Amino acid sequence: MKERNKHVIMYIVLIFFAVIWISPIFVAIEKSLQVTGFKSYISVLTYDKINYFKVVLNSLIIAVSTASVVVLISSLAAYAFSKMKFIGSKVLYLLFLGCLAVPAAAVTMPLFSTIKNLGLIDTRLGVILPLIAFNTPMMLLMITNYFNSIPNSLLESAKIDGANSFIVYRIIIMPLAIPIIANVLVLTFIYSWNEYLMPLLVVRTEGKYTVTLAAQYFMSTTFQSPADVAKIYAAMLLLTLPSIVVYMFSQKYLQAGLTAGAIKE
Amino acid sequence: MRIKKKNDNQAYLYILPAFLLSLVFIYYCIGFTFYSSFTDWDGMSKTMNFVGLKNYIKIFQDKTFYIAIKNNITFFIGTVFIQALLGFILAVLIKEGLKLSNAFKTIYFFPIAMATSIITGIFRIILNPTTGSLNVMLKSLHLNFLAKSWLGNPDIALFAVIAVNIFQWMGFSMIIYYSSLMSIPDDIYESASIEGASFFRVLWSITRPMVHSTTNLLIILGIVGSLKTFDIVKLLTNGGPGRSTTVLNTYLYEKAFSNFAAGEAATIGIFILVLSLAMSYLQVRISKESY
Repeated sequence: MKERNKHVIMYIVLIFFAVIWISPIFVAIEKSLQVTGFKSYISVLTYDKINYFKVVLNSLIIAVSTASVVVLISSLAAYAFSKMKFIGSKVLYLLFLGCLAVPAAAVTMPLFSTIKNLGLIDTRLGVILPLIAFNTPMMLLMITNYFNSIPNSLLESAKIDGANSFIVYRIIIMPLAIPIIANVLVLTFIYSWNEYLMPLLVVRTEGKYTVTLAAQYFMSTTFQSPADVAKIYAAMLLLTLPSIVVYMFSQKYLQAGLTAGAIKE
Repeated sequence: MRIKKKNDNQAYLYILPAFLLSLVFIYYCIGFTFYSSFTDWDGMSKTMNFVGLKNYIKIFQDKTFYIAIKNNITFFIGTVFIQALLGFILAVLIKEGLKLSNAFKTIYFFPIAMATSIITGIFRIILNPTTGSLNVMLKSLHLNFLAKSWLGNPDIALFAVIAVNIFQWMGFSMIIYYSSLMSIPDDIYESASIEGASFFRVLWSITRPMVHSTTNLLIILGIVGSLKTFDIVKLLTNGGPGRSTTVLNTYLYEKAFSNFAAGEAATIGIFILVLSLAMSYLQVRISKESY
């Protein structure tokens, strides 16, 4: 009986906070439908200034390319740091570690100027390259920690068979590292999908808007009438839909990734 | 028989791509920030005249700079402690392994997967003083005195921003506590229950000290997070009303892109960088000690 009361109280607390956490989305769904029903969604999908599908595609291209390049270059570097002996490895590793402390917002003007000098203003590449640079250090650290737990003896036997270091990386290391690679992939995808500062600095024309810029754009339109509010809520929900879908399929990796990223060694 | 080479030159090749990108976009930009903090650069033109410590003197005499620091501190304290407390309580409850535990975890965690620009968008409408759902609800409950101008009142705006930030990141504290709770061996709890210790007694005397290092870690991460804060403030209030929600990064952005004082912006940037570096160093130290 006592155990049961305990459970009831626990459920009350859990449900209370769950209601708070779910209510903004619930309000958004309800209000988006309240005036004209699904027409608010259709008006967002057919909005002439911002093409919804284009915006989602832009964010998708940015997030997928950032995540895959980050996985590739940080796993390559992690392999060297974890499994090779070379002069300067400590210093180079510390240089990457130091990057973790750098908030992109603290160096905005030089960053903007660098992207401009590279001729990358208003290009997707201008968003992708800095995003790769700012995501790599954290992911490199996570992958290196994981690689350190792979016993060297596994590599030695392959080396005796004459495999070169890249084959060892591809055939032995990477398959063993699939769990951490999945975490890093999901984490970088979500971070880049949600990125606001880089697109804000780089993107100029509406055709290249990301989901985050489109959200800001819709917020800057007038929302006086309930119909306007319905449309803006619909826009917010449609723009967040892809990340909710990704979250549903990958929350395990996202949670594991964030935990591994916080606890650094 | 294997021959161990002293220096594996291939290693540099493996590191090269990651190194080049961080060199161009991070280290070069840090150097550029440091250099331009001693100049009168406007951010646009090529001319940069050396002005010595002028920007530093100006920034350290600037009232708004101190308001921003104060707001960063309030932001950090408000976020971290409430977030850690909530995250801890919910992690403990979820760890009890009730049915639906995973569903609760999913709900608390999902705002992390959402873009800040979308969360702030939704909250800007919900917090609207006249038409927003929050005030409409409060008024329908006859709690008119609670229906504030959440983002428009300089006394409240920063707390509204903090609340939205907690909404987005509480799941993070929860999951970190959760993984720390999972690492506490079960036999500690078993012996406590044999001795008849109550739920709260166990929570206070066993669980709390066991996650002590996690709390320290979350505090440091909170300071680092506060120093990174930009999107949420820029999008919710843009630093206003007045200066009530201005934080270091939004002030820097304003200096750089609205006032064309890139040199002064860089000075603020150096201040943020030095603090961030010190905090990250602490974070690594704490992680090393406790994991």
